[in-house]
Amino acid sequence: MKELFEEQTANLSEAHFLILYWATQGEGRQAKYNITNCFDDLKHCGITRTKQTAVAAVEALCALRFVTLRGEGNRRNLYITRYGARALEALVLRQKFTPRPSAFLEGQ
Amino acid sequence: MVIGIGGAGSKIAGKLDAQATIINVSETELAKVPQAGRRILAAVHAQHGQFRGSRKNPAIGHDAYLSVRRELQEIARGGTVFSSTGGGTGNGITTGLLQDLAARESIPEAEKTSFGLVLPYAPLEPAEFVRNTIEFLRGPLSQAIDSGNTGNIFLFSNRVKFESRLSEEAFNAMLVDSLRVFLAIPDKNDTLRLLDGHIDPEDFGLFLARPYFNHFTYFDYDPQTPFEKQLDDNINPLLLPPEAPIEAIFLVEVPEGGDPTVFYNVLQYFNDMNVAPVYSVVENPERTQPFITVALLYSRKPAELLADFNKRNEQHAQVKVRKSLEQYVDLPRLDVNLEREAKRAVKQRGSDEDILQVLKRLGKL
Repeated sequence: MKELFEEQTANLSEAHFLILYWATQGEGRQAKYNITNCFDDLKHCGITRTKQTAVAAVEALCALRFVTLRGEGNRRNLYITRYGARALEALVLRQKFTPRPSAFLEGQ
Repeated sequence: MVIGIGGAGSKIAGKLDAQATIINVSETELAKVPQAGRRILAAVHAQHGQFRGSRKNPAIGHDAYLSVRRELQEIARGGTVFSSTGGGTGNGITTGLLQDLAARESIPEAEKTSFGLVLPYAPLEPAEFVRNTIEFLRGPLSQAIDSGNTGNIFLFSNRVKFESRLSEEAFNAMLVDSLRVFLAIPDKNDTLRLLDGHIDPEDFGLFLARPYFNHFTYFDYDPQTPFEKQLDDNINPLLLPPEAPIEAIFLVEVPEGGDPTVFYNVLQYFNDMNVAPVYSVVENPERTQPFITVALLYSRKPAELLADFNKRNEQHAQVKVRKSLEQYVDLPRLDVNLEREAKRAVKQRGSDEDILQVLKRLGKL
């Protein structure tokens, strides 16, 4: 299973990394971070121009159980799971991607 | 016009032609050459006068090229340039000249410049010389060959000098004497009794204007022994060994009353290689047996030439690393925990540390 986890983590893209990163930052600041914020931030970083891509990245993370989506009010907010935390830790230690600021969280 | 660039090139040029033009970045080096028609000091930025050379740095030579560019291009037209590839001045200035020649669309045959390049003997000469030579062969020489805008290129090697432990003076004299035998071909056609074929100065000039490597050699010719074997046994030790020829020129000198048909074997040899040589047979009363001077034009990719030098350069680098390890480094045994090291590196980077702390604070790690 450990091998499977490593394989899954190794294949995450920069968009996945940033979503995990921003979701953690948001949760750490007790700010709700939702799919729309996520799309705006990815667009701001020049990673995607379509909401479908942002949604697909979030759904992939959900399927891997790295994040959970909770419907709160009329928003679907992102929360990192324990597996997601381990995956983010692995990516940070590997220094594969550089974190970028979230325009939404910076503006909080 | 014979031109010598840098220390080594100037000494050879001065010895070949007392009227040669020599170029250097150092007045001291210019003064060291006893014979020269004209001495040109190429300008470099120096605070206290120009008395130092390029210190094996081709970049200094290349900068200096700009100060003599126009003049050198003018005097090199139709001439022969001698230079070494290992040092700074010769390499740097010749690099500039070759680059400019390569950039031109085409050059008429009569205006092409021949190059006599002295390559270092890699096993015994400084690593810088080998490295400079690699850069030179890979860059400007390769471009110039591709452009077809040069004349013959003579690749002399310092091998004989080091293996036979010759003084520089003796080696240069040997090199120049050897070159004179080759360059005397048209004169011998003019002055000696012609028995067959003909090489006039125009033919010879045309041959010199071909953009290939030239390997010339000369030896007493024995008509009873296959020419191929004689050629293999007598390749010119002062030049790099040749590849299969593309073009050839030869002059056979027979003694007075000697058989003028001995050249057919040589002709047959070249014919078998699909090469149609320019040739002539003359009678030379000073000879007691036939004597042949032959030059082969061949094309060898600089990449292949480079392989020998690269191999040596790599060995130099390995030896240097080994020596510095032996001399300066006491390597302690380190037990490295890669995860801890990675965390330390992340911590040094700063911001990422926070995210791991956040995860811990949230109880997710």
